[in-house]
Amino acid sequence: MAHTARIAVSYSFYPSLHYGAKYGHFVRNVPANFLALLETDQENRVLKDKVRALEIQLQNAAAVVAESDRLAREMRLSSGLPWTGSWARIVNKTPADWYGSFFIDKGSAEGINVNDTVLGMQGERAGLAGRVLEVYPEFSKVLLLTNSAASSVCAIEPSGFEALVEGRGTWRLKVNYVPEESALAEGAELTTSPSGLLFPPGIYVGKVTKVYARESFMNFMTADVAPAVDVNTLKEVFVLKRSLPENLAGQVEKK
Amino acid sequence: MSFILEIFLYLATGGFYWWWTQNISFFGLAPNFIFAAALCSAILAGPIKAITWGFFLGLYADMLGSSLFGGYALAYTLMAYGVYVMKRHFDLDSPFSQLVAGLTLSWMCMLFYQVLSFSFSRINPVSLKIFLAEPFLNALAVPVVFQVFYRFKRRFDIL
Repeated sequence: MAHTARIAVSYSFYPSLHYGAKYGHFVRNVPANFLALLETDQENRVLKDKVRALEIQLQNAAAVVAESDRLAREMRLSSGLPWTGSWARIVNKTPADWYGSFFIDKGSAEGINVNDTVLGMQGERAGLAGRVLEVYPEFSKVLLLTNSAASSVCAIEPSGFEALVEGRGTWRLKVNYVPEESALAEGAELTTSPSGLLFPPGIYVGKVTKVYARESFMNFMTADVAPAVDVNTLKEVFVLKRSLPENLAGQVEKK
Repeated sequence: MSFILEIFLYLATGGFYWWWTQNISFFGLAPNFIFAAALCSAILAGPIKAITWGFFLGLYADMLGSSLFGGYALAYTLMAYGVYVMKRHFDLDSPFSQLVAGLTLSWMCMLFYQVLSFSFSRINPVSLKIFLAEPFLNALAVPVVFQVFYRFKRRFDIL
C-alpha cells in the first residue's frame, strides 16, 4: 500500500527532477565544455592506443573464458554471470537521507531493473554503492549500502570467511557475525560473497577500520568498515544488469 | 488562477530545494526548504490550507527519501496544525520568532520522524550530523522563505 502510494507520488513529481537535472547539467557545463573539447581530443588519441592494446587482451581473455566455461561445465561448477550495464549520473541526493538513497538519471527506458547492482568508482577501483530500489521510466532510486535497511553477505579477504555487512545510516558500515577464528584484522578487505543472491561475487565492499573484541555473551565478532565508495564524492555510477531468476528480480516497471 | 499559482509555488519550492541540494549543499548539509515552506505556509495561511500545504510538502520530502513513506507528510501536517494553535498565542510575524520556531520545530519534526521510523520500520533515518546542524540552517531559511511567501500572498492573493 505504502509502496504503491510512493510510486504514485513519485510519478507526479519526477518531471521536475528529470527536466531540472537534464537542463541544469547542460547549462552548468557550457563553459567547461569548450575546454573539455580540447582535452578530449588529446585524450582520444591516448585512448585509441589503449583500446588497441585492450583488443589484443580481450581476444586472449576470450580464449581463457571459453576454457574456463568448458572446465566449469565438465566439472559441474557454478559459473559467474558476465557484468554488463550502463553508466548513470546522480541527479538528486537528499541531505536528510544522504547515506540512505539517491536518484540516478536512468530508468526502465534504459533497461534498469529493481535490485540491479550499483557500482561507484573510487579512484581506479570499482566498489559496491548499493542496489536499485525503485524504477521509473527515466530515473531510478538507489538504496545505498550505507542505508540502515541495507546489507550484503561478504567474504573477508584473504581467508574467505563470510560475514554480514550492514549499513548504519552513517559514513561507516558494520560487519557482523564474523567467526572468531577468522582472525579479522584492521585493513582486511571485504568483497561480495558468491553465496549472496543480490550482488555478483567479488565486488569490493570496503576495508575494516576497527575490530571489536568478542563479547562474553556472543559467539561472533563485529567490526567497523570504511565503504569502498564515498557517497560525498560520487557523481556517476555504473548499474550492473544481471539475469536473476524471476522470483528474485522484483517488480519491474513496464513501459 | 490562484490555485494554479499555488501549484506553481509548490513545485517551485520542491524544485528550488532540489537545485540547492544538487549544487550548493556542503558535505551533505543544506537548509530544508521544504520544511521552511511548510512552516511559512502554516504561519501565513488558514488552518485547512496550511494543513494541505504541510501534507503535500511532506509527500515531496517523502518522495526524495528512502525511509518511512508518509512520515514527513504526517509530521508536517501535524506541525501545520500545531502552528495554527500556536500562532493564536504567539506572534510569529517577526523574524526572530520565526527563527526560534524554525529551530524548535525542526528538532521536533526530526524526533517525531525518528520515532515513527523506529516504530514502523526499525531503521534510523536521521544522522547525528543532520540532527545537530540542519535545524540551525532551517532556522536561518525560515525568515527568508517567509518573506518570499508573504510577497506572493500580498501580490497574488494566494495561501
